[in-house]
Amino acid sequence: MTLVELSRWQFAFTVAFHMTFPALTVGLAVFLTVVYGAHWRTGKLVYLQMFRFWKRIFAVGFALGVVAGTVITFEFGLNWGVFASTTGPVLGPIIGMEVVTAFFVEAGFIGVMLYGDGRVKPRSMFVATAMVALGTILSTTWIIAANSWMQTPRGYTVQDGRFVPTDWWSVVFTPAFVWRYPHMLLAVLISSALFVGGISAYYLVRQRARDFARRSFSIATGLLALLVPLQLMVGDHVAGDVVAQYQLTKLEALEGNWGSTNTGYNVLVIPNMRTASNEVMITIPRLGSYVAKDLSGRTPTPGLAATPPEDRPNVWTVFWGFRLMFYSSMLIFAAAMASVVLRLRRRLFDATWYHKLVLWMTPVGVLAIIGGWVTAETGRQPFVVYGLLRTDAAVSHLAPAQLVFSVAGFTVLYLTLLAVFISYVVRTVRIGPERDFPDQDDVGDPERPNTPTEADPDDPSDETASARGEAMA
Amino acid sequence: MNADLWFGVVLLCLVMYVVLDGYDLGIGVNLLLERDLRRQRELVEIVATAWDGNESWLILLGVSLWGGFPLAYGVVLPHLFIPLIVMLFALILRGASIELVSGADTTPRRWVLVFGVGSLVAAFAQGMLFGALTQAVPVVDGAYAGAALDFASPYTVLTGTTAVALYAGLGAAYVRAKADDPLRAAAAGRGRVLLALTAVFSLSCAVRLDATAAPAALSSPYRVVPFVVLVVVAVAGAATAFWVFPRAVGDDRMEVAPFAALIVTVVAGLAALVVVRAPVLLPPSLTIASAAAPGKSFGLLLFGVGLNIPFVLAYNWYAHRVFRGKYQVPKSERPAATSPAQLALSADPGGRR
Repeated sequence: MTLVELSRWQFAFTVAFHMTFPALTVGLAVFLTVVYGAHWRTGKLVYLQMFRFWKRIFAVGFALGVVAGTVITFEFGLNWGVFASTTGPVLGPIIGMEVVTAFFVEAGFIGVMLYGDGRVKPRSMFVATAMVALGTILSTTWIIAANSWMQTPRGYTVQDGRFVPTDWWSVVFTPAFVWRYPHMLLAVLISSALFVGGISAYYLVRQRARDFARRSFSIATGLLALLVPLQLMVGDHVAGDVVAQYQLTKLEALEGNWGSTNTGYNVLVIPNMRTASNEVMITIPRLGSYVAKDLSGRTPTPGLAATPPEDRPNVWTVFWGFRLMFYSSMLIFAAAMASVVLRLRRRLFDATWYHKLVLWMTPVGVLAIIGGWVTAETGRQPFVVYGLLRTDAAVSHLAPAQLVFSVAGFTVLYLTLLAVFISYVVRTVRIGPERDFPDQDDVGDPERPNTPTEADPDDPSDETASARGEAMA
Repeated sequence: MNADLWFGVVLLCLVMYVVLDGYDLGIGVNLLLERDLRRQRELVEIVATAWDGNESWLILLGVSLWGGFPLAYGVVLPHLFIPLIVMLFALILRGASIELVSGADTTPRRWVLVFGVGSLVAAFAQGMLFGALTQAVPVVDGAYAGAALDFASPYTVLTGTTAVALYAGLGAAYVRAKADDPLRAAAAGRGRVLLALTAVFSLSCAVRLDATAAPAALSSPYRVVPFVVLVVVAVAGAATAFWVFPRAVGDDRMEVAPFAALIVTVVAGLAALVVVRAPVLLPPSLTIASAAAPGKSFGLLLFGVGLNIPFVLAYNWYAHRVFRGKYQVPKSERPAATSPAQLALSADPGGRR
């Protein structure tokens, strides 16, 4: 393992760990805003229950995302010092904008959002939650702008061996940004919708917290039905308008072809980078041409053999990262369409087979996002700034001991925290939302006088519930 | 000119960070000096609402350096590698522990300890970073060229210890303002000891500074006069804090006095350091001008990022203001018909219900 490879592994590992959390918390922040708004508007206690329950998972996930993100900021300078020095004039201000317009907004309001329940007015709670959601979306915006510049650099000149910005508009609105931004935004909304759907499905299967479960499940599947078809179209544009146009080597690698005569679509490929061929290749004939929008079946997909070996990305990671994302998206699409059919037939809350399916699919959105990023980043290799700065020239000249220390440390720490997070989610789900149903003097509004009990339809000891619960269900 | 202005922003981030996360990490250090799990939990809850905003100044500090002085950033970070990584590990565990403790029904002892130890380690690592900045960084062809353990020296151990003591003092002052007895009484009692330790360590650091690669430049009167004034102000602040720490406990207007006085000390002390070191960013000779990014970066930095900073200050102020006053156990977490006092007196060792 060379120093460059170790540094790359470390970065890949730390950034994948980080990604896991915003993949859930951006969507959850939006969801929590909607749900609290619904409580504020309608007064229905179930919405406050939903807010309080989902907030538990959000809080821990958000914290882990923040601290993992702090690592990335410093990692640019620590492990990729030459990258940091050369791109600093361009990327530093972009990330700086992210910190002031997104991180601080989130941080400023998250205290109120997580701890203000019962302490501040509902209006302030709503505003605070909405501000946190806005912060997460702004964060997504800036980070995609930064990464997109690395994929299709624009608006710069080179001075003294450094990239210097000449036009900030071009730096931000690069060709890659235009399509990747909606792609990423939709992706995080979809992955968290699936996460909420999966956990709600658990309660539907167990017949617990019925009102809570149905509303959560309905919102989640509804969102999937709307967003997934949109995402498939946007993703197609990313592939066709961005990758095919500006990063042909990435396209060639993600389709897994060496020669440029294959009109089929490769379902499975085991590549051999050394011999520049595929050991195993399973292809669906003509489908490659259909994907390229030529229904005659005659358009071949370009292959990697034409590129000099030193400029080729690793086909393993790019192909399989892409397939992970794409196959996951097909599965999510199927589940979303199934939810539409079930909803139209009024069986959305009764189809236990479907609930079990969605339950198993809880983490699939996150996996898809990780697959997509593996494609994007390993497909950009051997460049860290595409076509301009090679990755092995961008690394810090660290002493081996430093690198071993950080790689080992992050691996152990992050694997532990991943286990902690998963067990926390599992435990929270097992305990369930019943404890989050508001009591009569704990409705969360410090100015509201004690209201008569609104029955918890899920509490078997509440006698009014059985009568009311049926009506509400 | 732009570079100098931006350096001012970098310093602002440093000051904000040291004051805000100083008390935050300091509360963690204080936690290790408490024995009762319930008191420890309350300390965690006190920082729970503001820790993210406090720590975000560290990110802004790093990014400001990166955007404005990319050469320094890419060269100094590898030099600070191990203490910086250790600090990051500690901050990661700390952040996780806060939410895991705060969201739990029964206080998880292990995570409370993680919070305390993580705070201690992070504080020490930051002190080491500060000390390591007085070392000459080996640079070859614009890239770092040093060895893994270069940062470790008796001086950096000293600066590490100083940071721990300073932060602990800030933390105790904050607890005095935010908590009721018995936490408040414990903090008030501890304050003087912590401040005395900080004074001793700081003095040692200052005295030994001349032996490092970053000695104090005290040749010109334009430096000496401001330096002396700032040192006097810093000492005055520390002395005020020292005097008032265990006094007037319970008087609302005086509760925040030690913390306010210490803020003055920290700001004046950092300013004094800048006065004797500017414009050299990194020893022996990397100056603000030579490390600065070229012109157009400062456009977005000063206008885009810089103009947002008043808003950022406003968010920080808002977050602290919503939770102003003494820390109170939230209604939803109190057993029915229990006042805070009853809760404090109850026999329950760590649970909230």
